[in-house]
Amino acid sequence: MYELKTLLPQFEIKLPTCMYDLKNVSLSAGAATAGDTAILFTHMANISFSCNLKHIQCNGVTERASNPKKSVTCALDLDILGRQIQQLLKQENTAAVVERQDKVLKQLEELKAQLGKIRSSLGVRVCGKTVQHTTAYQNGGLKEVPLQDVVVNGHPNFIPYALLALKNAWRDLYTIDVKTFTHSTMADIGPAAREFEANLAKVPVNASLPKINVTLIWKNCEHTEMISSPTMYVPIYGEVNIIRYLGRVGPTEYRYENSPLCNEIDAVLDICYQLLRCSTHKSQVAMVRLLDKRLQQQQYFGGQQMSVADIGVYSSLIRMPAITDKDLTPALLAWRKRAKLVTQI
Amino acid sequence: MVEEKENVASANAASGQEPVSKKGAKKQAKAAKKAEQKAENAAAIAADEAAGDNAADHAAGRYGLSEMIQSKDKRSEREFVLVPDLSQHVGKGLVWVRGRVHTSRAKGKQCFLILRQQSSSVQCILAVGDIISKQMVKFAGNIPKESIIDIQAKPVSVANKIESCTEQLVELCVEQIFVISQAKAQLPLQIEDASRPENPDDAEGLNIRVNQDTRLDNRVLDLRTPANQAIFRLEAGVCRLFRDILTDQGFTEIHTPKIISAASEGGANVFTVSYFKDSAYLAQSPQLYKQMAIAADFDKVFTVGAVFRAEDSNTHRHLTEFVGLDLEMAFKYHYHEVLHTIGNTFTAIFKGLRDKYSREIEAVGQQYKVDAFKFLEPPLILQFAEGVAMLREAGVETGDEEDLSTPNEKLLGRLVKAKYDTDFYILDKFPLAIRPFYTMPDPNNPVYSNSYDMFMRGEEILSGAQRIHDPEYLMERAKHHGIDTSKIAAYIESFRYGCPPHAGGGIGMERVVMLYLGLDNIRKTSMFPRDPKRLTP
Repeated sequence: MYELKTLLPQFEIKLPTCMYDLKNVSLSAGAATAGDTAILFTHMANISFSCNLKHIQCNGVTERASNPKKSVTCALDLDILGRQIQQLLKQENTAAVVERQDKVLKQLEELKAQLGKIRSSLGVRVCGKTVQHTTAYQNGGLKEVPLQDVVVNGHPNFIPYALLALKNAWRDLYTIDVKTFTHSTMADIGPAAREFEANLAKVPVNASLPKINVTLIWKNCEHTEMISSPTMYVPIYGEVNIIRYLGRVGPTEYRYENSPLCNEIDAVLDICYQLLRCSTHKSQVAMVRLLDKRLQQQQYFGGQQMSVADIGVYSSLIRMPAITDKDLTPALLAWRKRAKLVTQI
Repeated sequence: MVEEKENVASANAASGQEPVSKKGAKKQAKAAKKAEQKAENAAAIAADEAAGDNAADHAAGRYGLSEMIQSKDKRSEREFVLVPDLSQHVGKGLVWVRGRVHTSRAKGKQCFLILRQQSSSVQCILAVGDIISKQMVKFAGNIPKESIIDIQAKPVSVANKIESCTEQLVELCVEQIFVISQAKAQLPLQIEDASRPENPDDAEGLNIRVNQDTRLDNRVLDLRTPANQAIFRLEAGVCRLFRDILTDQGFTEIHTPKIISAASEGGANVFTVSYFKDSAYLAQSPQLYKQMAIAADFDKVFTVGAVFRAEDSNTHRHLTEFVGLDLEMAFKYHYHEVLHTIGNTFTAIFKGLRDKYSREIEAVGQQYKVDAFKFLEPPLILQFAEGVAMLREAGVETGDEEDLSTPNEKLLGRLVKAKYDTDFYILDKFPLAIRPFYTMPDPNNPVYSNSYDMFMRGEEILSGAQRIHDPEYLMERAKHHGIDTSKIAAYIESFRYGCPPHAGGGIGMERVVMLYLGLDNIRKTSMFPRDPKRLTP
């Protein structure tokens, strides 16, 4: 037998006294021989580890898998695993172990069935694509659904192009209904903002799609800020953070929090945030270089699919007229062309 | 000699009467001393005056009480300059200025006088010298506050800013001074007290205030404060902008009768006036006449005029007589054509005030600390149901068909302000149940109606709707509301000869000014307010 090295340093886990023990679900079937099965499991673990690396990979997947589909593949892998265990047991020729092994297999089958049930129940939820937001008005203001009505305050000198980019990118998925207003603190919004308003109005509205109402107010304010509900939430500052919010309430294709690229997308958006705050050309170029490093030779930031990260970078670059094509690398230029087809700005 | 007499007198008094107590004796002694001092002072003054009279007054003719101006002379040689323009006349010789004595202080051989002209003021100085005599300085020092004077003076620039005046860099060296109209020496209120900034945080500052009733009783004096000057100039601006903006859009100004035979709007109380052998009412609203003008093909009309409400409500925002700014407009297919016109008119008025009346707004702000009025362009339009949803989100329980209570109205105003940062918004599609019978119901949802309210700083300023222009339907709705149709026969009759679909609304000018400036009482924006407790001045 191999000696197993623990991956994590061993911790003394102190359990609080206020908790009570729960029976292990997987063991409940053979509850009578609980002690036996426990031993069996350690056996099994040893065997499987000695088996091959493939199984360890499978384990890794199980741990990560929150997605039901992946759990399914794992369950199938367990089948293979069972066969492998049998093979090993034949070599050992121990009747007692075979007997126990049968029990384990039985338990594994039950586990498979359980997973199947879970999968089917989850599958129903995934199939219903339009997420129903039950607006519970009477529960004392405790609403967990994303608000479908937000206000964005922006200065005409810092136009939130991301709104238009998202509107265009989502035209077949989700409607962002933007209404524009001018606040009394702004005497004139200037030609760029007016053009932006006109472009926003040009995007056709598809009434059948789920939608979010955005009230864009041109205001003499320092940061682009978003207010969803004054009584429940604090304002969100910064264009990239508004992109994040919209990415969360928008179409499922653009929700990135559960994707493995989540960290990558967040990192890119953070670079955009810094880029928008760079005052010197030199620091801006440095940020562009960072972006280039992130993009490398990929189609889009983080992979083959357009994501909110691309929207963030694209709109940030528009707001930086100081950054010309000269400052962009060929990869970024090519990306920009690709992104332009989607964002259409 | 006087002293002796006094002593004798007091001695006599003491001996002649019952023995005086110790306290009484002290009192008498005190009185005696006082009398003595008084006599001494009088003697000194008399001596002084005698000396003054005796000395030749080399400035005679340069000062004095002017005879009553009865348009005898034209005196066109006197060129008058306005106080704000004085700085352009520095070093250009003598000018004439007419104004009021704001304060006057004579001290020895000098007299400092602050001359006020509406909201601007300038410091004047008289110093005994070749031109000015001691008597002239004394005369200037004794002119009662608020008297109107003519002065001839030389504008000179000063090194140190004069903080107490609006003209801080110019001073007038007076050479002639004449009183045109003298004020009473005792004023019922001091202009300085009446114009002192309201600053509740400043505990150390002078806390002398003039209360509202004293102000209103002496409105002529009260109106002289810079803030009041600004308020009523701005109020004129609201009226002018309302007229100009609507006229530009093709509206016609009409004048409607104020003496009417029947109550025009159900519910609210009306004033009854005797009308020869009969009685009549004072108009509560020009609505019927506006609608008749629409039926008479005027297409778009507005009117500015007095409106009377016999409501015994003593609140900060109710008057029994106020100026109504009303408009009514025919539309093609959807009442939102009118809603947007009214909303845009408001935005245009606010913009006009912001751009053209910034000085007045600032002057009011110096006395009453309030935030500047904020608005959106185009105006924010929310549905009534959205407003109710916002209120519920904030934890307020209110019904779908329930009217907004005053606290809810204010809370909604605060919520809208927090979310959209605007002090002006429109609430559209009110429940039918809470609107008058002539309101057109919403064709898509029988619960709602084609009616709207507009709000400034969370208070309702305008209430309007699409009116029913079909006589039969109007009868039906009136019956539904349990209204005696014979009483409103004339109203219904006016739609029998064909009437275009129309909508409109009206606002109270005083209320708009009050809320625009963020003042706390409507009496501040009515020049001579009328309320249940006040008929004068």
